[in-house]
Amino acid sequence: MAESLKPSTFLRGVHPSHNKELSERAAVSVMPAPKTVYIPVQQHLGRPAVPVVEKGAAVAPGTLIARADGALSSNVFSSVSGVVADIRELATPSGYCPHIVIDNDGAGEPRELPSLDDPSAEKIRDRLDECGVVGMGGAGFPTAMKLAAKEKIDAFIINGAECEPYITCDYRIMLDYTEQFVRGAQILARGAGLDNFVIAIEENKPDAIDRVGRYIRDNKLAAAVITLKTKYPQGAEKQLIYAVTGRRVPVGKLPASVGALVDNVHTALSAYLAVSKGQPLYRRVMTVSGRGIKNPSNIWVCNGTPYRDIIEFCGGESETPAVKMISGGPMMGFAVSDTGIAATKTSGSLLLLTDSEAFTGEPGPCINCAECAAACPMKLMPMYIDSYILAGDAKNAVKYGARNCIECGCCAFVCPAKRPLVQSIRLAKKKAQGGGK
Amino acid sequence: MSNLTVSASPHVTKAGNSTRGIMLDVIIALMPALLAAVFFFGYHVLINAVVCAGAAVGTELLFGCAQKKDFSRAALKKSSVKDLSAVVTGLILALNLPSRLIVGGWDFNFYAAGAARTVENIIFSFDTVLICIIGGVFAIALVKMLFGGIGKNFANPAAAARIFIMLSFGLKAVGTVGFLADAATGATWLSSAAKSTSNQSMFLNMFLGNRGAAAAGETSMIAVLIGYVYLSVKKIIDFRLPLAVVASAAAFAFLFDALGRGSGPRILNNVFANVMAGGLVFGAVFMATDYSTSPNTFWGKMIFGAGIGFFTVVIRVFTAMPEGMSFAILLMNIAAPLIDKYVVPKPFGYARPQKPPPVTVTPPPATDAGAKREGKK
Ligand code: SF4
Ligand code: SF4
Repeated sequence: MAESLKPSTFLRGVHPSHNKELSERAAVSVMPAPKTVYIPVQQHLGRPAVPVVEKGAAVAPGTLIARADGALSSNVFSSVSGVVADIRELATPSGYCPHIVIDNDGAGEPRELPSLDDPSAEKIRDRLDECGVVGMGGAGFPTAMKLAAKEKIDAFIINGAECEPYITCDYRIMLDYTEQFVRGAQILARGAGLDNFVIAIEENKPDAIDRVGRYIRDNKLAAAVITLKTKYPQGAEKQLIYAVTGRRVPVGKLPASVGALVDNVHTALSAYLAVSKGQPLYRRVMTVSGRGIKNPSNIWVCNGTPYRDIIEFCGGESETPAVKMISGGPMMGFAVSDTGIAATKTSGSLLLLTDSEAFTGEPGPCINCAECAAACPMKLMPMYIDSYILAGDAKNAVKYGARNCIECGCCAFVCPAKRPLVQSIRLAKKKAQGGGK
Repeated sequence: MSNLTVSASPHVTKAGNSTRGIMLDVIIALMPALLAAVFFFGYHVLINAVVCAGAAVGTELLFGCAQKKDFSRAALKKSSVKDLSAVVTGLILALNLPSRLIVGGWDFNFYAAGAARTVENIIFSFDTVLICIIGGVFAIALVKMLFGGIGKNFANPAAAARIFIMLSFGLKAVGTVGFLADAATGATWLSSAAKSTSNQSMFLNMFLGNRGAAAAGETSMIAVLIGYVYLSVKKIIDFRLPLAVVASAAAFAFLFDALGRGSGPRILNNVFANVMAGGLVFGAVFMATDYSTSPNTFWGKMIFGAGIGFFTVVIRVFTAMPEGMSFAILLMNIAAPLIDKYVVPKPFGYARPQKPPPVTVTPPPATDAGAKREGKK
């Protein structure tokens, strides 16, 4: 793990144009809380949290409104002060779940827990659990749970790759909240029982590498910055671990099985806020970008803020109409059409892409060029998964690796026939779960 | 925000990457070989190219519409011919045929006034045009569309059509006259009896294209190589596949010659001649690399390429046929799905399944384990 001159990287992958110039100069600003927030009780991997407030209850920012249900679930907090107006099913990017609707009166003071000084690993994990901290890179895996891995961990990696095009929130956090971020990373490493950690950043963010590296040197922290090659999906967990440590996470296993843990930049910042400031997780920095938005920005957004309010805050739509609205990044995010969907702990970005940016055409027949296989970082054969599952043969689809797919989208990105390969693979995964036939 | 599309990720795709673009690149890469063929064999080649491409495109257009039973304007507009793959097939087929020929029993050709009825004196070869149309229709209708169109054909349409024509019309290696006129009329190096008259100036002529060639496109090695470099640089083909074909052909030519005919400097010449003669390089660059009919993994491609080189030389050395490239390609095309079945890359992080530990039978505890587990939760 020595700092070497040659940037580390993984095998295969693609080079999408990053389009980060749209928002990378915009320092993080704060979007005021909207009039009404719609807070989903499902903002994490596991089961939906169970509401603990009722209609009419008075809440403040930081009030627990839904409690974790099981180990992979997580607490949900109010992001505004006001009164619970309703609890009802509303759309999320990937389905429906109950939302706690709160009318914001803008009055109450945020609720904070006492800050912890020099806490033990266990105390850190308890606090993260209590404050509802989850992996903010997208999956929403509860952080405390991850840190409590049974295996012996010797590599703690903060994922500053931010390899998805357009997204710049992690980059801005590293620049604008350097101290809090690095201290948060240290807290996370401690939570996993380690003193040292590594922050891995892609080459195309030289000022972040510089700023974070300087902070670490100036404060003599037991940490290192590792430069990664700019390539997608450099930030995918297994690829990142390979790039940094040379270890291959075995198929079907978690990173902890090779002694490594990966956490996201924003998660580190949230860990700092939870442990050192006692702030529960109820807002996050979000990149709003794409050529369909007037003022691309990086902003603090309260959980539960509907997309329409975010778009309005960023100057509304630009002259060129958007053809796709995406929750998340352009490679892995969800296309949505409902501006009433609300921001969550894991929504790192909202993109409005115009016709020149997003693909909306029709797929053609596969020409068997094997470009998809050549791009796949998991070394799968996407074209066979696609053709087998479309023929209803889940068994063979699994044989060609459907289960190992990380849904990074490299295959469909390079496909000249524009085949929706990831969609097919998701279908294959689903069918394989249902018994393999 | 009324026209938002909702579809699966990823939402961006590689810029300028399309089936049509790839086919356009292949057409560009074929241009040097086409121009060289026109230079050495005259305008006939151009006519053949246009006829073959036209027949291929027309067949695909009609076939597609017939399948959908819809010949309306809209259906024609939506036809798959827009991806240009039929044009590629047509061009490759044309370059796989002689510039002019006389089909026994036909001879509808036009000759220069008062000249003898020999190939050299043909000014417009109607026979060839007919063969081109038959070849184009065969390649597209029977080899490509019948199997489901682009990407689904089991054999390279152009190679299959060439073999079909060779077998049906008894066209052995019909030589054509070199423009610079010292190439042997009607005979290529491969069909010349002794296959021993190789010398340096012959190689230079082969390299440039001044030779008798059984097919128009194979004449100029350098023109084919320009196409190869173009396709490799643009990453349309895997540059290692043609190399595998050529290396394997050279190795087996050497082996068979050394075993069969003793030693001496002639052997090296024969190796060279085997590589440069006939359609080996042309086929390696433009036909073996066909996406649908070649394996999809690196090792699969290497096996495939080596097989083509091997069969080409075997057919040349041990059979009565002078040229084996198209047969070799066809043979390996058929083997390609098999190769792909067995050469499957292991996923990233794959671990060999461990042998299950020896079974030790432990009797289940008396209490209901399932209920216990539930209770713990
Ligand atoms: S098959 Fe899965 S892992 Fe491979 S490139 Fe496609 S989405 Fe990524
Ligand atoms: S990249 Fe697309 S066209 Fe090429 S083999 Fe894969 S699925 Fe088929």
